[in-house]
Amino acid sequence: MPMLAEQKKRTVRINGCVASAQAAKYADVDVIAAYPIRPYTATMMALAQMVANGELDAEYIVADSEHSQLSIAHGAASSGARVFTGSSGVGVQFAYELYSPISGSRMPVQMMIADRTLDPPGDFGSEHTDALSTRDMGWIMGWSCDAQEAFDNHLIAYRIGEDPRVLLPQMVCQDGFFVSHITGDVELPDSGQVKEFLPPYKHPYPLDPRHPVSHGPQIMPEQGPPLQLERARAMEGSMEVIEQAHEEFAKIFGRRYDPWVEEFMTDDAEVVFFLQGAHAVTARFAIQHMRERGLKVGMVRLRTIRPYPTDRVKDVLSKFKVVGVIETNMGLGSVSSGGVLYAEAAAALYESQKRPLILSFMAGMGGEAIVLKEFYWMTEKMLDAQRRGKIEKRTHWVGFEE
Amino acid sequence: MATIEVQRQLLPILDSPNQGARFYNPELPSSEPFVPGHRTCAGCGPSIQYRMTSKAAGDNTILVGPTGCMYVANSSYLCTPYNVPWAHTQIGSAGSFTAGVAAAYEAMIRKGKWKGKFPNIICEAGDGSASDIGLASISGALYRNHDCLIICYDNEQYANTGIQASSRTPYGGMTTFSPPGPEVPEGKKLYPKDLARMMAAGHPHCYVATASVGYPIDLMNKVRKGLNHKGAAYLMIYTPCQKGFVYETPRSIDLGRLVVECGLYPMWEWNPEKREFNYSFRPASMRPVSEYLKLQGRFGHLHAEHIANLQKFANEQWKMMGVELPQALIHAADAKNLTNMAAAAEAEAVAQTL
Repeated sequence: MPMLAEQKKRTVRINGCVASAQAAKYADVDVIAAYPIRPYTATMMALAQMVANGELDAEYIVADSEHSQLSIAHGAASSGARVFTGSSGVGVQFAYELYSPISGSRMPVQMMIADRTLDPPGDFGSEHTDALSTRDMGWIMGWSCDAQEAFDNHLIAYRIGEDPRVLLPQMVCQDGFFVSHITGDVELPDSGQVKEFLPPYKHPYPLDPRHPVSHGPQIMPEQGPPLQLERARAMEGSMEVIEQAHEEFAKIFGRRYDPWVEEFMTDDAEVVFFLQGAHAVTARFAIQHMRERGLKVGMVRLRTIRPYPTDRVKDVLSKFKVVGVIETNMGLGSVSSGGVLYAEAAAALYESQKRPLILSFMAGMGGEAIVLKEFYWMTEKMLDAQRRGKIEKRTHWVGFEE
Repeated sequence: MATIEVQRQLLPILDSPNQGARFYNPELPSSEPFVPGHRTCAGCGPSIQYRMTSKAAGDNTILVGPTGCMYVANSSYLCTPYNVPWAHTQIGSAGSFTAGVAAAYEAMIRKGKWKGKFPNIICEAGDGSASDIGLASISGALYRNHDCLIICYDNEQYANTGIQASSRTPYGGMTTFSPPGPEVPEGKKLYPKDLARMMAAGHPHCYVATASVGYPIDLMNKVRKGLNHKGAAYLMIYTPCQKGFVYETPRSIDLGRLVVECGLYPMWEWNPEKREFNYSFRPASMRPVSEYLKLQGRFGHLHAEHIANLQKFANEQWKMMGVELPQALIHAADAKNLTNMAAAAEAEAVAQTL
């Protein structure tokens, strides 16, 4: 079989974009749909070179837009091919029409996102608004915080999405630049490990002339809800598969991730940051710094946001006095007038007997790093709320207030 | 990397003249990839075309249906007229979804994941998809030369949404987005986008042709030429819409001939090897445009000057085809002659055999 050449386990120093490309290579993808937009482009550049070098046998298509990228991915996955695509920022939104049709036809397309601000400001920095704006379209979605985790998440996501109990597309997200363009040590597995972990893609009803099927027919109003219910159940049912996949991954590759949340220094913490993505790396450092000065602060990092681990988030966050959500996204006029993460964390906590106070921090916007003194500033706000026992101001734009 | 060579199909060209064998040809395959039982209107041009196209293609075929009549009226959930795999895609995804299917089969056959001859991959896009919202995606698929056939079934309007003007709606055509009124007596003021020529000019490595449901064997042969061509092919096919054109239901095929005989739908092929247009197709007769217009309610509001404008447009098309214009058609392109009933009658009497 003209499949991926045998590879031995080795550690390389690569950035998040190249880690994603490596993961696609290990997954032996059949069709790649590319279109340039920074910063995710580097993934497609790496894949183009792999195809040119003969390291990967795949159809590499340079699409005419992101809308076409996703449509190509949809068509190819519908035919039975394993598909890889990706985008950033406004590119994610140019393709918006396709997100529901792809999950609705239950095609496990995989899309890599390296986050970028939308326009305006359209700067190259990371904000999660691009991918988060598609969060309710039926895609499995999660964030990594470094290159190794990005590599691993791609393989895990294929395994989840292609599971016949799930059959849903996956958005594998990483922060632009903080992950996509910062190098780190990445352990590339032995190809035998990948074969063991990720079975070949086999959709039960592909477009195959020997077994004709009609995909996506026009339906009457009363026929819609049953299909929507099935899709909702698939998303809900994926939680069990997600846990199994992470368990299996740990067994085969030796790296264990909690599928839902990472807790950092939370054992005796009274106030915690709640965030997703690359700011976790700086948060860990800042928390250690503050711990040395006696502040009982910790961090909870969300790894998977769709399906949302409601009960887990409720149980974890209920342990603390104050939760400070670091948004890194825009939810203009939303429930907190801040970002998306606040609303979902608050909703998850609603049924808890012991609800912490919740603050929303608009920090890391425009792709700015959150610096140590800002972590101190935010911690001070949380401690102040703890002392008063109430929230004076729900949402803070960090760096714009005293 | 060792790879498996992709085997492709070769479909025979039907040995029939353009004009004859209108209703029966013994060489036609008996298979019916597009079966009765769908919900299109009686006399629907696009579904007549669909049957001819899929019959010409045969059973090792995959159909792609961007949003349009051939999606909405055909594929009613729990009932399907497609005997071969068919997938709906978004109206703007005509070329891109099709490209994805073609790329998937290239990769899967090459990598030994699917065994068999490369299927015919046909996209059936309405003119709204093909000339407007899906134009870039189709251009992308043609440019990249995926082995597929993209068809624009041209009913000259967005019909499924209730008859709205597209870039293919002819000058003077009444639609709900181009209604005539005292300020705009002609209805549609713009002339149609020369879509097929644009595709041939921009993607000269592709087989491109125009066809009409009025000439079934010619149509099916063009489908087969397009499928046999290794790489991308494009057909723009005239498919009258009874609901939008407002004509008597049994006259769909007649209109498919009249539109060619009146010079409003030039029939040609682009030869990608020779890089030249083939204008040798000749209808049995040449007629003034009024003979075509008068059968359709969508042109019922036109004044003499508008009909003359359409005749001028048709005359330009004839010239482009290299046909010498009879005096009567030049005469009919002057509005004064159309208001003179005797001259109009004279123009109508032209039925010159070529």
